[in-house]
Amino acid sequence: MSRTALAVAASLVASLLAACGSGSGAGGDLTAEPVTLRFTWWGADDRHKRTQQVIEMFQRRHPNITVKGEFKEWNGYWDSLATTMAANDAPDIMQMDELYIASYAERGALLDLNEAKKHLDTANFDQKALATGAVDGKQYGLPVGLGMYSIMVNTDLLAKYNIPLPDDTKWSWDDLKAIGEQVSKAGGGQVFGVQSPGINDTAGLSIRARQQGKSLFDAAGKVVLPPEIATQYWQYISDLAKTGVAAPPSVTVEKASAGLNQSATATGTAAFGFWWNTQLTALTAASGAKLKLLRLPGESQGKPGAYYKPSMFWSVSARSKHPAEAAAFVSFLANDEEAAKVLLTERGVPANQKIRAAIAAQLKETDKAAKEYLDTVPVSDPPRITPNGASTLDAILKRHTEDVLFGRATPDAAAASFIKEVQSEVDAAK
Amino acid sequence: MSALDELRQLRHGAVQVRKRDNKAAFWFLAPWFAGLVFITIGPVLASFGLGFTKYNLIQPPRFIGFANFARIFSDERLHNALRVTFTYVLVSVPLQLACALGVALLLDRGLRGLAFYRSAFYLPSLLGSSVAIAVLWTQVFGAEGLLNRVLGFFGVEGRGWISDPDTALSTLIVLNVWTFGSPMIIFLAGLRQIPAVYYEAAAIDGASRWSQFWRITLPLLSPILFFNLVLQIIHAFQSFTQAFVVSGGTGGPSDSTMFYTLYLYQQGFSRFDMGYASALAWFLLLIIAAFTAINFWAAKYWVFYDD
Amino acid sequence: MTTDRLPVGRLSSLAKHAGLILIGFVMLYPVLWMVVSSLRPGDEIFRSPGLILDSLKTENYTEGWYALSPSFGTYLLNSATLVLGCIIGNLVSCSMAAYAFARLHFSGKRWWFGIMLGTIMLPVHVIIVPQYVLFSQIGWVNTFLPLIVPKILATDAFFVFLMVQFIRGLPKELDEAARIDGCGHPRIFLRIVLPLMKPALATTTIFTFIWTWNDFFTQLIYLTDPDMYTVPVALRSFVDSTVATSWGSQFAMSVVSIIPIFLAFLIGQRYLVKGIATTGGK
Repeated sequence: MSRTALAVAASLVASLLAACGSGSGAGGDLTAEPVTLRFTWWGADDRHKRTQQVIEMFQRRHPNITVKGEFKEWNGYWDSLATTMAANDAPDIMQMDELYIASYAERGALLDLNEAKKHLDTANFDQKALATGAVDGKQYGLPVGLGMYSIMVNTDLLAKYNIPLPDDTKWSWDDLKAIGEQVSKAGGGQVFGVQSPGINDTAGLSIRARQQGKSLFDAAGKVVLPPEIATQYWQYISDLAKTGVAAPPSVTVEKASAGLNQSATATGTAAFGFWWNTQLTALTAASGAKLKLLRLPGESQGKPGAYYKPSMFWSVSARSKHPAEAAAFVSFLANDEEAAKVLLTERGVPANQKIRAAIAAQLKETDKAAKEYLDTVPVSDPPRITPNGASTLDAILKRHTEDVLFGRATPDAAAASFIKEVQSEVDAAK
Repeated sequence: MSALDELRQLRHGAVQVRKRDNKAAFWFLAPWFAGLVFITIGPVLASFGLGFTKYNLIQPPRFIGFANFARIFSDERLHNALRVTFTYVLVSVPLQLACALGVALLLDRGLRGLAFYRSAFYLPSLLGSSVAIAVLWTQVFGAEGLLNRVLGFFGVEGRGWISDPDTALSTLIVLNVWTFGSPMIIFLAGLRQIPAVYYEAAAIDGASRWSQFWRITLPLLSPILFFNLVLQIIHAFQSFTQAFVVSGGTGGPSDSTMFYTLYLYQQGFSRFDMGYASALAWFLLLIIAAFTAINFWAAKYWVFYDD
Repeated sequence: MTTDRLPVGRLSSLAKHAGLILIGFVMLYPVLWMVVSSLRPGDEIFRSPGLILDSLKTENYTEGWYALSPSFGTYLLNSATLVLGCIIGNLVSCSMAAYAFARLHFSGKRWWFGIMLGTIMLPVHVIIVPQYVLFSQIGWVNTFLPLIVPKILATDAFFVFLMVQFIRGLPKELDEAARIDGCGHPRIFLRIVLPLMKPALATTTIFTFIWTWNDFFTQLIYLTDPDMYTVPVALRSFVDSTVATSWGSQFAMSVVSIIPIFLAFLIGQRYLVKGIATTGGK
C-alpha cells in the first residue's frame, strides 16, 4: 500500500481516537488565551452581511477570541460539511437544519449542549421549541428561529375576482379546493387557485397525519405514517391538478425548482400557497402584492396539526477543541439583544421569547405579521426530529409527487412506495 | 558471422535503442509520475477500498465485503440512472461533435468576421456549468420560454419541456450540444494544422469541395476527431453539473435527469453512504474504460497517423 | 497563406453570413437575456421577459460587487492567481509528458498510457473525500496548493492526451533530421516539437483558463475562508434556494466574470489562427 494510502488510513484511525477524548471541556472556564473558532452558515448575501456584523460585535466583547466566519449556499454547505467532517476538520459552530440534525447527532458529530450550560443559558427559550433540537434527551442544537406552516393568500387577487376571504378558523381541505376552483374559473387559465402542494411539502404531509392523530415517525424513528393518509394526500394533489385548481403539472414542477422568486405566489399566478410564515416578507417583496397569512385548513376538525418548526439550529462540533468558547459564542448569537437587533428575523422569528419581544418594534409590517401568526395560532407538540437516514425525505416526497402528477403512479402506489422507501432509508442508516 | 550471431547483434541493437529512450522518458515523465504517486494513487486506492465498506463520513469505515457491488445489480434507481446516462451519451455526443465539426469547417478560413463568429459560438460553453444556466435554460425551454413562444407563433402548443419527465432529458441533450464550443476549438486547431498546399493541389486537380473533405480533411483530422470522440464520451458519462443545476440537484422530474454521477453524488453526500458511492464510481470507471478500449481498438480502422 | 479553396459567389457568402448570424443569435439568446436582465432592477427580472430594455439600471452591478465581503474584486483576483498557476503548471508538465508518450519508446508505455487515461475516468466525487483528508493532513486546506500542485504534476490527463494527438500528427522527418544532426531529446523537444505545437499549447491555455475559472466543486471544498473564495464559489453564494435570491446581482456578477474568460478567448484564438505555414521547412 502506498505511503499516502497509509496516511489516509492512519488519519481515519486518528480521528476515531480523537473523537473518544473530547467533550470534557465544555463545562470548563473560558480561557484567556487567544482562540480561533470556525463558524459556518448557509444563506444568501443579506444573511452573510448581517452575520459578519454580529461576529465583529462578539470579537469586540471577547478580544482574545477570533471567529472565522465561512458561508456557503445551501447545497455547497452540506457538501463542504461532509468533507470537513470526514477529515476531522469540522467547524466549531455550525448552522444546522432539522433534516440533518439527527443524522449528524447520531453519528457522534455534535456536542450535547447541556454540557455547556455554564456558558449557554437557555432559560428564555420556549420548552416546546427547545425540544425540537433534542434527541434522546441530549440537546444537539439550539433553535434559532421558529416558523409555522401556513397558507399565504394573495388578497389583491381575491379582491380582483370578488371572492371573499375564507374563514380560516373553521375551514377544511375541501373548502380550500372549493375556493380554489372559484379562483381558477375567474382566472381563466392565467391565474390558478392553489399553488400545488407536494413539493417541499414534508410539513404538509406531516400535518395531515397529525390532524388525524397520527404522525410520520414514532419515537423510535420508525415510519408509522398510515398508507390511507398518504393516499389521501396524493389524491388531493392529483385532484387539484386534474380539475385545474392547481397549474398543469409541468408548470408546477418548473416553478418549484426555480426557487422562491419565481413561484406561483411570487408571480401572482396562484391565489393560495403553502409557505412558512417567515417567508412572508420575501414573498411580499417578490410579488408586489398584499399577502395575508391564514391558518391551514382542517385545523379545527381535530387536534391542531400545526407546530413550531425551528428554522435552523446552532450546533457545536463534538470534536471542537474549544467547546466552552464555542458555547459562549452560541450564547451570544442566541441571547444577546444587540446581536438580535442586527439579525432580526432573517433567520426566522426568534425562538428566544425575550429577544422576540425586544426586537418587535424594529420589525417590518410583514415580519410583524409573521410574528403575530406565531404568537396566536394554536399548536401541538412538535413532531419527532427527522431520524438519521431520512435526510433525503424532501427529495423522496418530491419524486413521488412528480410521479403522481405526471400519471406515472397512482396515489395508492405512490403512498406504498413512499412509506417503503423512507423506511428502508432509515434502516440502511443504522 | 553465423545467422545466430547476426540475430543476436540485431536484438542487442534494438534493445539498446529502447534503453536509451527509457532514461529520457523518465525525466520527461517525472512530474506526471510524481503527481500520480503522491496525489492520485492514494485517493484512488482509498476510494477502491471504500467500495468494500460502509462509510458514513464521520464514523470509521466498516468492512462489508461485496455487498455494495452486489447492490448494483438490484438497485432499480441505479438502472434508471444507467438508462438515462447511456441515452445521453449515445445521442448528445455524436450530435455535439457533428455541430462542432460543421461549424469549425464553416469558420476555418475565408470568411470575414471570423474572430467574432468563433467567439459567439464559444460563448455558450463559458456558461455551460454556471449556476445561472438553470434560469437561462428555463427562459428558453420553460413553460413560458422562448421555444414555446416561437412555437405559439406557428400555432403549435408547447409544454414545459424542462419539467416534463418525458422531455427533460432532451433539454439536457440540447444543453450539451449547445456547448459545442470546446470540441469546436479543438477541431479548429486541428484544421489549422492541415497545410493549405494539399487543398491547393487538390483544387488544381479539379477535386470538389466534398471530395476534398473526405480525402484530405477527414483523414488528416482523424487523430483530433478521435481525441474529441474519446474525451466527449468520457465527459458525457461523467456529466454532472448541468443535470445538477438544471434539476436543482434532484435528478428530477421523476428521476428523468438522474445522471449516473448525480446518483453517485447523492449516495455519498446526501445519504452519507460513501461506500456505495465508491463502488458505483468504480463501476462507472469499468464502463468508461470499456467504451474507451473499444474506441482505441476501432481507431485502427479509421484514424490516420503520420508516424 | 489563406486562400479560398474555391471561388465563392457573393450570394453564397451572404447566405453563409445570414445563416451564421441566425444560428449565432439563437445560440446566444440565453446569454443576451442574462446581460439584459442584469441591467433590470432585481424584482422586475422575471416579470418582464423579452430582450428589450426600457432603461439601463446599473445598480445590480454595484450591489453585486459589494454584496459579499470582501468585495467581488477579491474573488476575481483570487481566480486570476489560481488560473495563472494552473496554466503554467499544465503547459510545462503536460507537454513534457505528452512528448514522452508520443515520441519516446520506453518499457510499459502502453500500460502507463492506459493508467494516465484511466485517471480521467474516475468521478471527482469519490476522490474528493480521500484527497481532502490527504491535503488536510499536510495542512494545504484553505490554500491554492491543492488546486495548483496537481496541475504542476500533469494530473490533467486531458491535456496530455490532447498534446499526444497533436504531436503524433507532426511528421517525424524533422525529429529525425535533428537526431542526425546530433540533437538529444530535450533539444528536439524545445526547438522543434514545442514551437510546432502552438495550436495545442494555445488550446491548453485557453481551456485551462476557462475550466479553472468555472470549476466550482473542488474550489468549494478546498477554500474554506471567504477571503480565499474564487469566482464560481462566490457566484453560487448569491443563489440559495432557502431564501430569496438576488438574481439581479447574480446576473450582474456572472456577466462580470465572463468578461475575463471571453477576453482570454478573443486574444488566445489569434494563436489558434496562427497556424503552421508549412510543415516541410528545413
